[in-house]
Amino acid sequence: MKVDIEELKKFVGKDNVRDNIADLYVYSSDASVHSSKPDVVVRPGSIKEVQDIMRYANKNKIPVIPRGAGSGMSGQTVPLSGGIILDMKHMDKIIEIRPEDVLCKVEPGVINDELNRILQPYGFFFPPTPSSGRICTIGGMIGTNASGVRSVKYGATRDAVIGMKVVLANGDLVTLGSNTKVDSSGYQLAKLMVGSEGTLGIVVEATLQISPLPKYRSMGVANFSALEDAGKMISETIAAGVIPSMLELMDNVAITAVNNAQNLGLPDVAAIVIFECNGMLKEAVEYDMGRIKEICKKNNGTGIRVSDDPDEMTRIYEGRKKLFPSLSRYKEGLYTTALADDMAVPMSKIADAVHKIHEIADKNNVVMSAYGHCGAGLIHTKILMDTTRESQWQGAKKAVKEVYNYVHLIGGTTSGEHGIGFSKGPSFKEEKKDSLEMMRSIKKSLDPNNILNPHKLMDSPDDWLTATPLRYQVNNK
Amino acid sequence: MTAKTKTKPKSKYLKQYEEQMNMCIRCAYCFEKCPVIKEMQWDTDGARGKVIMSYGLLTGDLEPSQYIADKLFRCTFCRDCMDRCPSKLEILEIFANARAELVDAGFASDTQKYIIENIKKTGNIYGDAEVISQNQDGDIPLFIGCQYLGRPNKTKKYIKILEKLGIKPKIVDEICCGFPMEVLGFKEDYEEHKTKFKKMFPAKNAIAFCPTCTVFLKEGHEIKAKHVLEVILEKLPNANLDMKVTYHDPCDFSRGLKIIEEPRQILNKLGVEIVEMKNSKENSRCCGGGGGILMTDQELSNDIAKKRIYEALETGTDTIVTSCPTCETTLKKAAQEVSESEGKTISVRSIEDIIWKGLK
Repeated sequence: MKVDIEELKKFVGKDNVRDNIADLYVYSSDASVHSSKPDVVVRPGSIKEVQDIMRYANKNKIPVIPRGAGSGMSGQTVPLSGGIILDMKHMDKIIEIRPEDVLCKVEPGVINDELNRILQPYGFFFPPTPSSGRICTIGGMIGTNASGVRSVKYGATRDAVIGMKVVLANGDLVTLGSNTKVDSSGYQLAKLMVGSEGTLGIVVEATLQISPLPKYRSMGVANFSALEDAGKMISETIAAGVIPSMLELMDNVAITAVNNAQNLGLPDVAAIVIFECNGMLKEAVEYDMGRIKEICKKNNGTGIRVSDDPDEMTRIYEGRKKLFPSLSRYKEGLYTTALADDMAVPMSKIADAVHKIHEIADKNNVVMSAYGHCGAGLIHTKILMDTTRESQWQGAKKAVKEVYNYVHLIGGTTSGEHGIGFSKGPSFKEEKKDSLEMMRSIKKSLDPNNILNPHKLMDSPDDWLTATPLRYQVNNK
Repeated sequence: MTAKTKTKPKSKYLKQYEEQMNMCIRCAYCFEKCPVIKEMQWDTDGARGKVIMSYGLLTGDLEPSQYIADKLFRCTFCRDCMDRCPSKLEILEIFANARAELVDAGFASDTQKYIIENIKKTGNIYGDAEVISQNQDGDIPLFIGCQYLGRPNKTKKYIKILEKLGIKPKIVDEICCGFPMEVLGFKEDYEEHKTKFKKMFPAKNAIAFCPTCTVFLKEGHEIKAKHVLEVILEKLPNANLDMKVTYHDPCDFSRGLKIIEEPRQILNKLGVEIVEMKNSKENSRCCGGGGGILMTDQELSNDIAKKRIYEALETGTDTIVTSCPTCETTLKKAAQEVSESEGKTISVRSIEDIIWKGLK
């Protein structure tokens, strides 16, 4: 069905509809490797406008794909069969802040860091801390169940979302969840919406639980000459009942990348672990930091440094902070691709998983680094390769499959915080094969015409490499 | 696999940036403070969108069009995106070269062509052969720049300041540094102009009044250029003006030249207290006047400038001081409009005015 642009302009005004080829080209991709154009981009400014668009789309069976900043790494906002991109950035109001109820209500286009800037004078913050916090929207975070470096203590977006308003595929508006921390009133549909990647409804308002800002924090670092020791240190820390606010690992590839690109002189060891504790009481934080230090020593950690001095903490975190840009400058001719980028594994298997990732990368002639929020079991990798060469993509495809096979074998999961989209579809479907039909039933009951972000999650194509054209130009063997 | 099928790329200028554009991880971090996307709120208007369009022009996925030209020329070249880019791409060079592709394809506006023709004919952006420098011999070559040459009183004042401080600038005939040609995508004209410029201004070291010229003397002509404020700071005596102002960092100052503390030290030496705006120093918000946007979208430029005026008003001071003639002009216009429409008044002044007052 051809999209009636004039009809959409009636709903949102002509200034909020774009269908020039240049706009469609820009909106055809996100931070993933995929690319496929929508028919039109529409920018709603109110719940009613979203409802009007959904009623029109449902009647005419036109796909609708919600999009925030478009910073997703798996292709969630890339349309496979055209349709309407709903750019939600215009719905960016903070509706209310209720410190006495430890919650706030926001529209989906609110930017994470902007929310925290507004919450700061109240003495609160919204805990999920994705590294894209400066630009990512709350709607996008809900879509992917985003988390970040502090997930080890505060959990992911799902843990902080307690209610929401959602426009369904047929245009109906429903209120889900509650205003309370606990809720035993039937199916937890608000939680179900989190991580559903826009396949079940359009979130138009979210009720978020906020947390008091900690008054004190301290950070430390330890070096390990064996990955196994770093892995043990991480799992023993969590098992000891210490709740760090950050527990990050950098492997040797990551360390080398930072040293090559930034000349920081990090020690050439198998792994570096950075840890942080925060809280209201200095003594309590220092006690926990002391315990982590002991665990580091027990597991042969060296060069252990702990500080609560802001400048020193900045220095400790500098290598980790600069890792992402360093990967892009790891080696000339190798480009960072968001593939196999956020698996989570049981804590005790982190070292095994990192070893395996390196082995698989070598075998398939690509470079893979491992780093991330290991205190939550999350390992970030990126595949560094020459994106202009077809053989590299074939190597990447094999590497992705082998990595996920191993992750599943050791009881891990495909995505810890970036979601599935297209890129992780095949592995996700393999991992969740027992429950795919259950997911499809839920989807069908809420979206019988399959217009809400179709071809994602359980309905994603079987081969991510051919799911859409790649956004890169591949012109060499 | 579904590799992109390409028509033969027609790119003349963008080819050299293919690797850079492949390095763009499309993270959108460049959205954070981009003044254009903050106003427009479409991905196409942010730096990432412009890089993607440039990539499309390179690969042949997009054909040059007026629509794309309007988008690519709608950028203030404020450099904020470059500071935030994790991959450290030369974003503005990509834009300048994408603009060159569009100019080659016939999508330059009449105003842009008019400015370039002016430079070619008269050596300055005004197309006025009477806009010339008053030459004098001196110790250090001074590059005045079009913006100051067109404002002779400001220029005289700045020269007098230098002379009062014992700095004797050497002034020779000069022509535009060529930045407008480079930034507006008139590459071939610029190459020709560059040769002419080098003949007329062969200096290896120089001081300059305009922040943008200072950057371009360094980056475009490899001259060891200093902004005059750097040399003024070394010689300036203390004064007691007893003023309270806020200071607007021009983009080419704080992000281009990394000159952040010097103007503040100058103001402090003169007894001027500075109340910082919410976004200042390397995070300074653009005035809305750079990158040729005034020729593309004056309304947008004005909207961006007004946001800066609101930030200045939040400081509670009655004066905003800046050190760039373009910033001064755009901010004055916006301040006037805010004053007329909302009754909130703030005066916009150049730093040389304050220095002059302090030296009197």
